[in-house]
Amino acid sequence: MSILALEFPPYSHLFDWPTIWLDGTPLAINKTVLIYLAATAATMVLFGLAGRPRESLVPVGVQHVAESGVNFIENSVVMQTIGPDGRKFMPFLTSMFFFILFSNITEVIPFIQFPANGRMAIPITLALLVWVIYNVVGVKSQGLFGYLKNSIFPPDVPKVLYIIVTPIELVSTFVVRPFSLAIRLWANMVAGHLLLVTFAILTATLWDFFYVPAALPFVMLILMTAFEILVSLLQAFIFTILTAVYIGGSMHPAH
Amino acid sequence: MARRTLRLIATLGVASAVMLVAAGPAWAAGETIGGCVLEQVHHAEEEYGSLGAVEADEKAFKAFEEDLEGCVEAPSPILPELDEIIWGGLAFLILFAFMWWKGFPAVKRAMDARSEKIRADLDAADTAKADAMRTKSEYEAQLAEAKTAAAAIIDEARGQADQLRQDLQARAEADIAEQRTRAAADIESSRRQAIDDLRTEVAAIAVGAAERVVGASLDADVHRSLIDGYIDEVAGAGSNGDGS
Repeated sequence: MSILALEFPPYSHLFDWPTIWLDGTPLAINKTVLIYLAATAATMVLFGLAGRPRESLVPVGVQHVAESGVNFIENSVVMQTIGPDGRKFMPFLTSMFFFILFSNITEVIPFIQFPANGRMAIPITLALLVWVIYNVVGVKSQGLFGYLKNSIFPPDVPKVLYIIVTPIELVSTFVVRPFSLAIRLWANMVAGHLLLVTFAILTATLWDFFYVPAALPFVMLILMTAFEILVSLLQAFIFTILTAVYIGGSMHPAH
Repeated sequence: MARRTLRLIATLGVASAVMLVAAGPAWAAGETIGGCVLEQVHHAEEEYGSLGAVEADEKAFKAFEEDLEGCVEAPSPILPELDEIIWGGLAFLILFAFMWWKGFPAVKRAMDARSEKIRADLDAADTAKADAMRTKSEYEAQLAEAKTAAAAIIDEARGQADQLRQDLQARAEADIAEQRTRAAADIESSRRQAIDDLRTEVAAIAVGAAERVVGASLDADVHRSLIDGYIDEVAGAGSNGDGS
């Protein structure tokens, strides 16, 4: 595809990976699946290594990463959105945070250079899982009638405003939330991947003609690589904290 | 510092070499969809004669369709576009080198500081625990001492009470004995007084009676000595007879 004299690879070449194994079956494995498997393994290895029984309680190596991650999720996510009774969701939220982070961060790793969450499958699956969890938590905490009532007719809202608020809340809580959650993550990773590819192609094209001007997009590529590492962290955090907010809202309707 | 820099340079060199070698297949894979479709069409025409012949054969048409769909997918199942591998990889390596130089030492310092703080907290907790154990031992020792002292005080008090009781008992017995002695002396004195009084009275009566019987007046002193002698005799017989 030629855009402004740049030979830009087609979108499908950047996101549509051919099957490597078990072609034609629902269990077909391609690059995206491999990244997800690697992200799962990395999360398990991280916490497996950090959780090994040791004589000293003083953390070393990856234990710092795991402990800091758990502290971060507890203090900045759970306690801020759900409260102390949200600690039972710590394993779920922490696992999800690291899984999304490892799936995102592959977009800057050489030879992989693709964020698995640039495909919609896992973001929407995770979002639907979150949808099921916060609805079940809401029904368990408030009862079916109470949960529906508090969701559609939020407390502390003047009754007159229910004409406007109720349809919005109904659609927002039960329909839009999983899609907004999934699309936010997916779109950010797609945009980040396209930006990195764009600056790489731009650098390569300029390099073929003029060496010096190629430095500008290359510097941008370096900056964007750093920025995408930040985005990978940020998107994992946003997905996790929104999940916690939805669960907290289902547990405590007054919040 | 020099060793660290050498290690960094070596890492970058190895990574760059691996990147260039591994990027070979991706170079070949970096083709356009149009080029790929054209290639597939030529390939089908060579194999079946014309595209019409492909369309007529259902099996050949399906295979041709799959080949065309393959043009839409990324050329390599694993590697991205070559340009992206080279320039993206290089950008990552430069960023990695910068992080190695500036970022990781800062992270390591933070991790070391965290370890040190946790170690200090654990040491403080151990010290506090040891202090608490020592204080507990001291309290237990003091409690044991207090119990011993209390037992000694109780024993002493019990001994003093026994002594007091014995003293009081001895004093009471002495008082009783003294009172009994005094009473016996009083009784004896009273008995003697009574005997003396009786003797006087009996002597007077006896003198009077004798004067009347004899009709003559006797010398009073003689009579009295006779009577006293008699009373003494009687008293001596009475004392020996009933013991009083």
